[in-house]
Amino acid sequence: MATITMPEVQAPRNYLTEKTGALSWFFTTDHKRIGLLYVASITFFFFFGGFFALLMRLNLLTPRGLLVTHETYNKLFSMHGIIMVWFFLIPSIPNTIGNFVLPLVIGAKDLAFPKLNLLSWYIFMLGGFVTLYAMVMGGVDTGWTFYTPFSTAYSTTYVIAAAVGILISGFSSILTGLNFIATVHRMRAPGLTWFRLPIFVWSMYATSVILVLATPVLAITLTMVAVERAFKVGIFDPALGGDPVLFQHMFWFYSHPAVYIMVLPAMAVVSEIIPAFSRRPLFGYKAVAFSSLAIASLGFLVWGHHMFVAGMSVYSSMTFSLLSYAVAVPSAIKVFNWTATMYKGSVDMQTPLLYAIGFVALFTIGGNTGLVLAAIGLDVHVTDTYFVIAHFHYIMVGGTVMAFLGGMHYWWPKISGRMYPEFLAKLCALTVFIGFNLTFFPQFILGYLGMPRRYASYPAEFQDLNVLSTAGASILGVGYVVPLIYFIWAWKYGDKASDNPWRATGLEWKTASPPPTHNFEVTPTVTWDAYDYQAQKEELHLG
Amino acid sequence: MSQVTVSVRTYAFTWATLLALTLLTSVMGLLDLGTFNMVAAVLIALIKASLIAAIFMHAFFGAKLVRIVVASGVMWFLILIGLTLADYLTRGLLPFPGK
Amino acid sequence: MADPLELAVREQFHDPAQQRETSTVAMWVFLITEVMLFGVLFTTFTVYRIGHPAAFDQGSAQMEFWMGAVNTAVLICSSFAMALAVNSAERGKRLRLAVYLLLTIGIGLVFLGIKFTEYYLHYQDHKVPGLNFQDSTPDARFIEMFFVFYFIMTGLHAIHMLVGIGLLSALLLRTYLGSFNGEYHTPVELTGLYWHFVDVVWVFLFAIFYIPGAHMR
Repeated sequence: MATITMPEVQAPRNYLTEKTGALSWFFTTDHKRIGLLYVASITFFFFFGGFFALLMRLNLLTPRGLLVTHETYNKLFSMHGIIMVWFFLIPSIPNTIGNFVLPLVIGAKDLAFPKLNLLSWYIFMLGGFVTLYAMVMGGVDTGWTFYTPFSTAYSTTYVIAAAVGILISGFSSILTGLNFIATVHRMRAPGLTWFRLPIFVWSMYATSVILVLATPVLAITLTMVAVERAFKVGIFDPALGGDPVLFQHMFWFYSHPAVYIMVLPAMAVVSEIIPAFSRRPLFGYKAVAFSSLAIASLGFLVWGHHMFVAGMSVYSSMTFSLLSYAVAVPSAIKVFNWTATMYKGSVDMQTPLLYAIGFVALFTIGGNTGLVLAAIGLDVHVTDTYFVIAHFHYIMVGGTVMAFLGGMHYWWPKISGRMYPEFLAKLCALTVFIGFNLTFFPQFILGYLGMPRRYASYPAEFQDLNVLSTAGASILGVGYVVPLIYFIWAWKYGDKASDNPWRATGLEWKTASPPPTHNFEVTPTVTWDAYDYQAQKEELHLG
Repeated sequence: MSQVTVSVRTYAFTWATLLALTLLTSVMGLLDLGTFNMVAAVLIALIKASLIAAIFMHAFFGAKLVRIVVASGVMWFLILIGLTLADYLTRGLLPFPGK
Repeated sequence: MADPLELAVREQFHDPAQQRETSTVAMWVFLITEVMLFGVLFTTFTVYRIGHPAAFDQGSAQMEFWMGAVNTAVLICSSFAMALAVNSAERGKRLRLAVYLLLTIGIGLVFLGIKFTEYYLHYQDHKVPGLNFQDSTPDARFIEMFFVFYFIMTGLHAIHMLVGIGLLSALLLRTYLGSFNGEYHTPVELTGLYWHFVDVVWVFLFAIFYIPGAHMR
C-alpha cells in the first residue's frame, strides 16, 4: 500500500527568516536588513532629539523661562538641532525607505555595493556615538549652525567632539549617495529605461547627487572649526585675522542643499503614494522627474539667503534672493502635479494618503513662507525670529516627517508582511496633523510680532501663543509615540499582508511580502511605463 | 585579455609634457610678473591637471557618464568659489558703510 | 588555479562588465567628493589671498621653492609609474605590474620624505601656527594665516598620499597572490584613478603656495 507523505508546512523563506540571530543582522549586507538597522537608529535619535524639544517647549510655557537656566537652554536648542538634522532628518527617508525600496523598485538584487552600505551604517553609528558623547559629557551651545568665532574661540562646551561626530556621520551620507548613484545608473532591470522609472527613483537620485556634492563641504568646514579651536589658529576668528562670514558661506553651501536632501526623498515618497491611492498615473511625469533634478541643481545656488543680515554685499544678496525665488518653481510644479493626479481619481483615503495630503498642504505653507524669507526686505524683519523656526518646521516636520510616516505605512506590508491597525493609524495621522499645526502655526505669528529665536525667555505678551504651541507639541508627541507602539505590535500580531495590498504599480509589489533575500525569483524585464493604472483598469475590465 | 586603453608611448609623451610644464611654471615663478605670477601658475596647473585627467585617468577615453561626472565636479567647484567670490568682490561698491 | 575573474564578480552583478563599469563610475563620483572637499580649502584660501595679497606673497616667499618644484616632478613620475602599472595589468603582465606598483610606492615615499623635511625646516624656522609661529613683520597675522592654510592643505594631501600608499601596498600583495590578470584588474585601475587625483591636487597646491612669492626669495 502506498503511503502518502504529507508535505511539511514550512515557514516561508524571506529576508527576515533566511538567517536569524544578532550576528546575521550586524554583519548583513542585505539592503533590506540594513534599512531596518537604520530604522532602529533614527527612531532612537528622533525621540532623543524630541526630548530636547519637549524640555524647550516646557521652558517656554512661562515668559521668564524658569525650567532650565539660559545656558542649559542654549544647549537644548543646539542639541535638538544637531540630532534632528544630522541624525534623524538627513538619513531618515534615504537610508530607511530608500535602502529598502530602491533596489526592489528597479528590479535589482541589491544595491551596487552592499558591503559599503553596511559600512555606511557603522560609520553613521560611530558618528552618532561621538556626538552623543559630546551631549552626555555636557552638551554644545553654539546652535546647530556652529557660527564662528563663538564656536571656535568663546564657547566652553564640547564643540570639537560634536563637530567630529557630525563630520563622521557625513561620510556615511556620502557613501550612501555614491551607492545610490551607481545603483540607479547601472543596476536597473532590463527594459527599465530612465523614463519608465517611478519618480521615487528620480527623486532619490537627485538626493544622492546633493549628498555627494554637498556633504564633503560640511566635513571639511567642521574640520576647520575643530582645527581652529584645538590649535587656536585663526581661520574664521576676526581677532586672528579671520572672517566669520566666510565660515557662514562654507557652512550654508552645504546646509542649504541639505534641506533638499531632507525634502526630495519626502517628495519621492509622496509621488508614489498619491498615484497609488488615486488609481491614476502621476500627472506630468517628465515635469516632475526634471523638477527633481532642477531642485537639486538650483538648490546649490541659493545659500546666501541665510546670510542676508550677515554682511554680504548688496549685489550678492540680490542675486541669492532672485535665485531663491527660482528654486521655488520646480517645487511648485510638483505640488500642482500631485494635485492634478488626484483630480477625478478614484481616491482611497488610506493612512498613507492622509499623510501624503498632509505633506502637500503643509509643504505648500512652508514653501510659501520661504518666499517671504527670500524677499530681503521682509527677511530683515523676520530673520532670527520664530517665523523662520515655523517656516523650516513646516517643511521638515510637516513635510519630511509626515512623508516618512506615510512611506512607512505604505511600504510596511512589504517590509514586514503584516498590516498595521488601520483605524488607529488614521487617528494618529489626524492627531499629528492637528498637533503639528497647533504647535507651529502660532510660531509664525510670534515671529512676525518679533519674538526672537533661541531665547529662553520672552516678553509677557507672547505667553498665550507660546502656551498654545506647547499644548500642540504634547498632542504631536502622542501622534508620534502611538505609531511606534502599534508598528512594534503589528510586527508580530498584525494581519498578514498580501504581495500587493494596495494594488499599486511598481516592481516592489510584484514580489512577495516580505521579499526573499535576493528580491526577485526571476529578474523582471520591464516593458511598461511607471504608474500604469490605466492598463490595470483595463485588465480588470473596469474600462 | 582586455584591450589596452592607452599606449605606453602616449603615457611617456604626456609624462614628458608634464615635466616640461613643471619646468616652465617654475622658471616663470622666479620672474617678477606681478599679479600675473599667480594667474600663470594656476593656468599652467589647469593644463597639467587636464592632461593627467584626460590621459593618465583615461577620462578622454572613458564612457560618456564618466565625462559627465568629471564636468559636474568641475562645475560644482566653480559654483562654490564663484558665488562666494561674488560676495567678496562686490563689497564696497555702494557708498553705504558695510555694503 | 581558479580564474580571478570568476572569483571576483560579486553576486549582485550580472556580469564582469557591469561590475567594472559600476565600480569605475563609483570611483569617479568619489573623486568629485574629494574635489568638493579640497575645493572648500582652495576657496577660503582664495578669499584671503584676494584680501591680503602682499602678506600671502611674503608667506609664499618663505616656502622651500626648490623642494616643492622637485616634489612636483617626483609626483608626476609616480603618476607615470602608476599609469604603466595599469598598462601592465591590462596586458596581463603580472611581474611588470608588481614592479611598477613598487616603483609608484617608492617614488611616493620620496615625495613624503621631502615633504616632511620641509615641515621640519618650517618647524625650525618657527613657522608652525598653533605650535611655535613667530613673525615680527607688520603683516604677521596674515602670514600666519598663509601658513595655517599651507599646513592644513598640504597636510590633508599628505594624509591622502599615505592612504594611497596603503592601497598600493594592498594591490602589490594581491598581485603577488595572483588576484589579477588581463581580464580582471579593476582594483588596479581604480587605485590608479585615486593616485592620479592626489597628483592633480598637488599640482594646484604647488601653484598657489610655492610660485607666487618665489621671485621674492
